[in-house]
Amino acid sequence: MSSDLEQLAQDLKNIVGEEYVFTDVFERIAYADTSLPYDVEKTDLPDVVVHPADAQEISKILKYANANNVPITTYGSGTSLIFGTKPKHKGISLSTERLKNFEIREDHQWFECGAGVKAGYAIEALGKLGYFLPIQTQAGSSIGGAVSVNTIGHLTDNAFGRPVNNVLALEVVLPTGEIIQTGSECLRRSAGWDLARIFIGSEGILGIITKVRMVLYPTPQMVDAVGFFKSTEEIGRVIGLMYEKKLPLPMDGEFVGEKACKVGYEAYGLDFPEGALAVTRSMGWTKEEALRNANLLVDLFKSAGAIDAFILEDEAIKKQVWGVRENAMRWGQEKGLKGYLAIEVNPALPLLPDAMNELVHITEGRNDLIGDTEAYVYGHVGSDSLHCLFAFPYDWSTEKMKQVVDEIWNLEKELQTKYRGVGGDWGWLPHRVPFYREKYGEVSYGIIKKMKQLFDPNDILNRGNVEGEV
Amino acid sequence: MEALQTEESMVRFLNEALISCEKCHLCNTVCPVCDPRVTQGPYGINRSIYYGLKWNQFTEKLRDLIYSCTTCGKCEIKCKGVSRALPLVEIIEKARELLLVEKMLGPMPEQTNVLKNMHVRGNPWGNAPHERTDWARGLDIPFATTNHPVDVLYFVGCASSYDPQAQKIAKNLSKLLKQAGVNFGILEKELCSGHEARRMGETGLFQFLSEANLELFEQAGIHHIVTGDPHSFYSFSNEYPFGEKGPKVQHYTQFLNEIIDKGQLKLICDVDKKVTYHDPCYLGRRSEIYDEPRKLIQSIPGVKPVEMKNCKEDSNCCGMGGGRMWMEPPKTLVSSQSIANSRVLQALDTGAEILLTACPFCNITLNDAVKALEKEGDIKVMDITELIAVAL
Repeated sequence: MSSDLEQLAQDLKNIVGEEYVFTDVFERIAYADTSLPYDVEKTDLPDVVVHPADAQEISKILKYANANNVPITTYGSGTSLIFGTKPKHKGISLSTERLKNFEIREDHQWFECGAGVKAGYAIEALGKLGYFLPIQTQAGSSIGGAVSVNTIGHLTDNAFGRPVNNVLALEVVLPTGEIIQTGSECLRRSAGWDLARIFIGSEGILGIITKVRMVLYPTPQMVDAVGFFKSTEEIGRVIGLMYEKKLPLPMDGEFVGEKACKVGYEAYGLDFPEGALAVTRSMGWTKEEALRNANLLVDLFKSAGAIDAFILEDEAIKKQVWGVRENAMRWGQEKGLKGYLAIEVNPALPLLPDAMNELVHITEGRNDLIGDTEAYVYGHVGSDSLHCLFAFPYDWSTEKMKQVVDEIWNLEKELQTKYRGVGGDWGWLPHRVPFYREKYGEVSYGIIKKMKQLFDPNDILNRGNVEGEV
Repeated sequence: MEALQTEESMVRFLNEALISCEKCHLCNTVCPVCDPRVTQGPYGINRSIYYGLKWNQFTEKLRDLIYSCTTCGKCEIKCKGVSRALPLVEIIEKARELLLVEKMLGPMPEQTNVLKNMHVRGNPWGNAPHERTDWARGLDIPFATTNHPVDVLYFVGCASSYDPQAQKIAKNLSKLLKQAGVNFGILEKELCSGHEARRMGETGLFQFLSEANLELFEQAGIHHIVTGDPHSFYSFSNEYPFGEKGPKVQHYTQFLNEIIDKGQLKLICDVDKKVTYHDPCYLGRRSEIYDEPRKLIQSIPGVKPVEMKNCKEDSNCCGMGGGRMWMEPPKTLVSSQSIANSRVLQALDTGAEILLTACPFCNITLNDAVKALEKEGDIKVMDITELIAVAL
């Protein structure tokens, strides 16, 4: 380690304490590696990983970084599928994992948590008191990360809204080191200016969210249902009918395409009808209401030509049905394909069946590397978000891997444009900058760059993400 | 006997297994040693192994991470359920083997003497071999030999042979077997099963010990082994090269159920206690024996069993597996004490008066945690055999 880096580490140790600063290569790898199918390079590693305890320590680190022009990349839990956490310019990887304070204030009807609190922990802690976390991301993801992306995971947008609808207040450390508070202790959110809305969904380029206060929702009653269809496209049409008939949307819903279903059924030895499946989780404030809502979907599925549809009463069958969807990360392995990359496409409602159909046949007749992949279609029912997982051999060269990744991202851009969506629950930056520029134009992109410059004049925080560096 | 692996074959296995990691981090969410840094859990450890191999970086930091794993296997279940089904425990063990055999970096410094003791004295603590059966003094337990054939060999294991707390398991189980009229015996020169040597990556020592034990079993004409040690049970069932004509191997929870069902062992006294059962990792998750211990507990009259939040396949680790019994990880990694404490706190949450288990390691560890938490007045840690002995 060079003397400059030794000095950097020592200076950080003076701020957070010796045991929370890491320069060891293995620590730096863990905070740089991503879900991309090719490996990180040594040049991708941060110089140092630091674990501050609170906003005050983060503030001191940011002030130090500004004074010494050291870039900082923030790290919540690393579960992002879009690898915004990989440092583009080395420097400091700043983890919020130690920000774990958690307080439920039933008298105020909100809870407050540190940015590093994991969704799994929050779901459990809230659940014990009969409350529901309106962010259903994977158990290991951080609340700070989810709020910074404004994601709700698998939930339907209009069930509980997004973090931007549910956050009452934030504590944020600005890139220049000042600590600010937004919002209030009141359940009535500000109708006018509320800086929280600027930080929520800004993906960490304007500040580091250190504390989140969110409204409490009582846990709803939930009833699951399943429909088996001949094709994915049919599910697309049913989703359209669900809106058209003004049915209560499920709070969570998934569909699995034909090819992926086949793999899942075989993996679990299931005797389900051949084709695609849609599984829904209806909610209600009473069990009867939830059941009634679920039955409305079952009736819809049947009237729309489902091979079979029923309420998932049997816990074992329910586990199997959801298991088919949870099996997603192993698709491709049945053919010995261990590499993969997934995309997100969010079609406008009338275009949903066409988009689904196109994704099902996406690899057919192509002369590029995508044509050499196996594609598995899946996604959400109600939140109209489609995914396609492309599986390919892991023994492809890094160059070939990078080429297929570029092709897949370009395809995602084309499909989002064609089907008029935006999405972003996996995080926008940095790889979707080209899409953003194309969809919204240079004026919009320029506003984001100016906002970044306004908040972060020395370009300290998550440097390179706005520029689209991968 | 399984052939010892070469460096090339170990590296190939590790690369092929690790390359398909999806990096979803879900393994970290269930890992007992991951708190709070992502590096500490299976994700970080596996990335460290992968890039350590790729960049030829083998350091003490890497060793510390690899040896911090308890090999409880909870991450493996998670990965199998929702991700890419990586053989995560085997990856850890193979990496330890590579560090120990090829890189001269393993095991952890405190474990070196443990391995030496296993080799020289046949037990990890370095106790005198002739003291191994001292616990049985006065109990009239025969040694199994060709001159004194037995129907069942009780393989005691090192902890129950030497540790005063765990010796209660040996004494109580022997009492139960005698009460049931089982023709059983122990080996005068029983040796460590080698399970923990293998967990620490010392596969050569494991082979040596397993061959020596096999010879002892053969000399004594053993056809049926019952043990109270899930670690030995796992090795006998999965790692010893017994072959088709090898002895039947059972954990006592399996055997006692059988003799209770046959009416050989009668439990008649009421034990009016609320109890909860901690699944030992190597009996539960690693050997998939969940029902037999519970059935055994339910056969005790008057007992009121309650489950902890994490039980069976989802049970939490006591923190002492995978060689951690003999090491304390560096300050920046999760301490064994905190893992055991959190398990005892879960047991306390149930309101149980007795925390039952069926493993000497868990018994020792959870007992220590109860003392550390100063909860001796609220909950008592017992092996299932101890409670059954009360019900006779």
